[in-house]
Amino acid sequence: MVENLTGTFRGLWQAFVGKKYWKSLTLFFALIGPGIITSNVDNDAGGITTYSLAGSEYGLTLLWTLIPITGALIIIQEICARMGVVSGKGLSDLIRERFGARITFYLMIVLFLTNLGNTISEFAGVAASMELFGVSKYISVPISAAIVWWLVVKGNYKSVEKVFLFACVFYLSYIISGFMGKPDWQAIGSSFLRPTVRFDTGWLTMAVGVIGTTIAPWMQFYLQSSVVDKGLKADDYQFTRMDVIIGSVTVNVVAFFIIMLCAVTLFQNGIRIESAKDAAQALAPLAGNYASWLFAFGLLNASLFAASILPISTAYTICEAFGWESSLNRKFLEAPQFYGLYSLMVFLGAGIILLPDMPLITIMYYSQVINGAILPVILIFMLLLVNDRKIMGEYTNGPVMNIVSWLTVGILTLLSLTMLAFALFSK
Amino acid sequence: MAVNQEPQVFLFLSELLGRRIVDPEGRPVGKVLDLTGNIGETYPPVTDILLRSAADGKTFLFPWRRLAEVNGKLVTHPIQPDDFRAPALRAGELFLKETLLDKQVVDTDGAKIRRVNDLQFLQSQKTLYLVHVDVGFHGLLRRVGLKGPINFLFRALFDYTLTDQLISWKFVQPVSSPDLLRLTVAQNRLAQLHPADLADIIEDLDIHQRAAVFRSLDIETAAETLEETDPKVQVSLIEDLDTANASDIIEEMSLSEATDLLGELPKDMAEGILKEMEKDVAQDVKELLAHPEEKAGGLMTTSFFGFTPERTAGEAMEIIRREAEDMDLIYYLYVVDADEHLLGVLSLRELIVASPEKALSELMDTRIVAVEIEEHKDRIADDFAKYGMLAMPVVDGDNRLKGVILFKNLLEAVLPKLGR
Repeated sequence: MVENLTGTFRGLWQAFVGKKYWKSLTLFFALIGPGIITSNVDNDAGGITTYSLAGSEYGLTLLWTLIPITGALIIIQEICARMGVVSGKGLSDLIRERFGARITFYLMIVLFLTNLGNTISEFAGVAASMELFGVSKYISVPISAAIVWWLVVKGNYKSVEKVFLFACVFYLSYIISGFMGKPDWQAIGSSFLRPTVRFDTGWLTMAVGVIGTTIAPWMQFYLQSSVVDKGLKADDYQFTRMDVIIGSVTVNVVAFFIIMLCAVTLFQNGIRIESAKDAAQALAPLAGNYASWLFAFGLLNASLFAASILPISTAYTICEAFGWESSLNRKFLEAPQFYGLYSLMVFLGAGIILLPDMPLITIMYYSQVINGAILPVILIFMLLLVNDRKIMGEYTNGPVMNIVSWLTVGILTLLSLTMLAFALFSK
Repeated sequence: MAVNQEPQVFLFLSELLGRRIVDPEGRPVGKVLDLTGNIGETYPPVTDILLRSAADGKTFLFPWRRLAEVNGKLVTHPIQPDDFRAPALRAGELFLKETLLDKQVVDTDGAKIRRVNDLQFLQSQKTLYLVHVDVGFHGLLRRVGLKGPINFLFRALFDYTLTDQLISWKFVQPVSSPDLLRLTVAQNRLAQLHPADLADIIEDLDIHQRAAVFRSLDIETAAETLEETDPKVQVSLIEDLDTANASDIIEEMSLSEATDLLGELPKDMAEGILKEMEKDVAQDVKELLAHPEEKAGGLMTTSFFGFTPERTAGEAMEIIRREAEDMDLIYYLYVVDADEHLLGVLSLRELIVASPEKALSELMDTRIVAVEIEEHKDRIADDFAKYGMLAMPVVDGDNRLKGVILFKNLLEAVLPKLGR
């Protein structure tokens, strides 16, 4: 009997990890890449928290905003991907060459600070989700920092990218838990058909928050660099565009399920939450333990995922701008600035969480504020660069694309500044 | 620089840009936007100033030698009407700020890509020469305008003085455009680099610079560099060339490297290149291409020495001397009969110490270690480790010698598995 069972297991295991399956799996991975990874990293701890709050406080009313957000995300990411493919250079590289040393220097300092803030919130996400599984943060945070470190320094980029793509699959957990909330599809449908805008400060702030967390400054740098790293050429551009579109849509599908789940459970029962952790906890009695666990697991995955990408992406971006050696293939002493920046991000990011009495909410709050302040600058730089014939040749924006993209950037800038004003004056 | 009585002054480009120029009476002439330099010379002399005229806001070129004073204020000699000309470059000239500042250059001394933070000039006998490129943190701070405060901080906190990190222009190869590579081709500094370093640099450059740098190399250097380059980059470099150029370069590569590269290329392109190549080389490549990459047949080369047993050591030596230049492997000689059956092997060392009249059949070692043509690379790696050889002969089912696997090529094939 026992032997029979182990035999069956072995058979199943072999079918799963057998050569054939791996082959089709690698083929699948070869086709998708930068766009999907970037977008999914974007659903990080901060994103999940914002979506949970949006759903639990304002129900289904914010759901429709995901449609224009998807549009804006596609437009912006497409510009980045196109610049990467055509120029073969990263965004910070282009900014340095076009706008000079001074602007780049200050931009990089600000970018470092906001990305550090984001990294801290990723490790906070790890801590929160593991606490739901009963693991103390003094254990989970150091271990996850070590995993992040090991993955990036010991693995090569190709294998790391595969791990990251695989991690994207775990976002499915939000979709599954979304269905566990037994949503009322009719109400959801009508929330899309009859979009409402409420003119109270709270609702507007939340709307801006949802947009702000979906379109972040660091993504533009990361996406463009990974497009360049993949060595895609102008002929392959069609694939890259598909990649970007699929990525932008998936990220918003996940966001949809999180907002929806929190709306149909927490909002309808009038439960107020402060964080994604609260959301996961509050879900247990309403949608079942599994939904709660899946929610927490999704948070863990998202946080770890973003925590492994943010520090390395920041280090690359800054070193590229200043012409410092930046490669994981070099030894520490050959690329001191690169490893220095990377280590600083990981250690500060994980270390600050472990300090007792750290005002985490305040830190994350200010990192969001800086995010909002720097985003318009970067978007405007991007549009100037993409319309520069010396860089883009025949691949500059067409007139229609220019109207659409300047309009998008204009609206996003306005929203970011609004959020900034709210943030600075409402406290 | 020549020794002279005049004071020599170092100037940075960042100190000149944006400065006001006045005439001897102190009336404003314009503002410095850029400088032009003649890049053809070892240390490019600055020829003109690109300035925005104070009078009408237009841009003009103004000859550098018409400046009377450079220290402190920029003062011109009395203005002549023909001092100004429209901003068009003469042959060999380029705008120094636009083409160099903040751009990437190759430092051929350190074999690295650097970003230009500043340019340093030396003024000697009324002429300004571009002598150094500043790539250091100190130069960056000067540009940002934080040199003072940060220097103070470093001295106060660490008792450390930041210094400029300058590279002599002699060792700088600009790469930002194909024109730049052409202008400096008379002294193409990239040729000073080892092909392996050059390959690293090419991998780090962006796609356009890559193509430009690669095209500027002579065929032999290009082939050597290509051998050291990552396969993905190899393909993109070759795809940018026309088939005639591509086949010239690939012919120069070692047989096994050339085969690997052709195997990676799109099919129609590989066929086009094969057609352009010399018949016998193309034939060898085609045979090797028929084998799957992870098997012995895909790793081997057919460019080695095979002799019949009757040959004497002296004759063999003669042949080796004549043909070794073009062979992938010279350290082992394989002894085969008329039907290519592998009979024995001897090393170059054994051949050199043997007396010239002895036949190879007497010298050869018949305890042959060989692998089958279908053998998987992992098993071959084990054999290499066990027998400690530089190369492994490959035979078919009938013990006929088909090729030889070089240790180097096996290493490349199994390296991804070893990790770092």
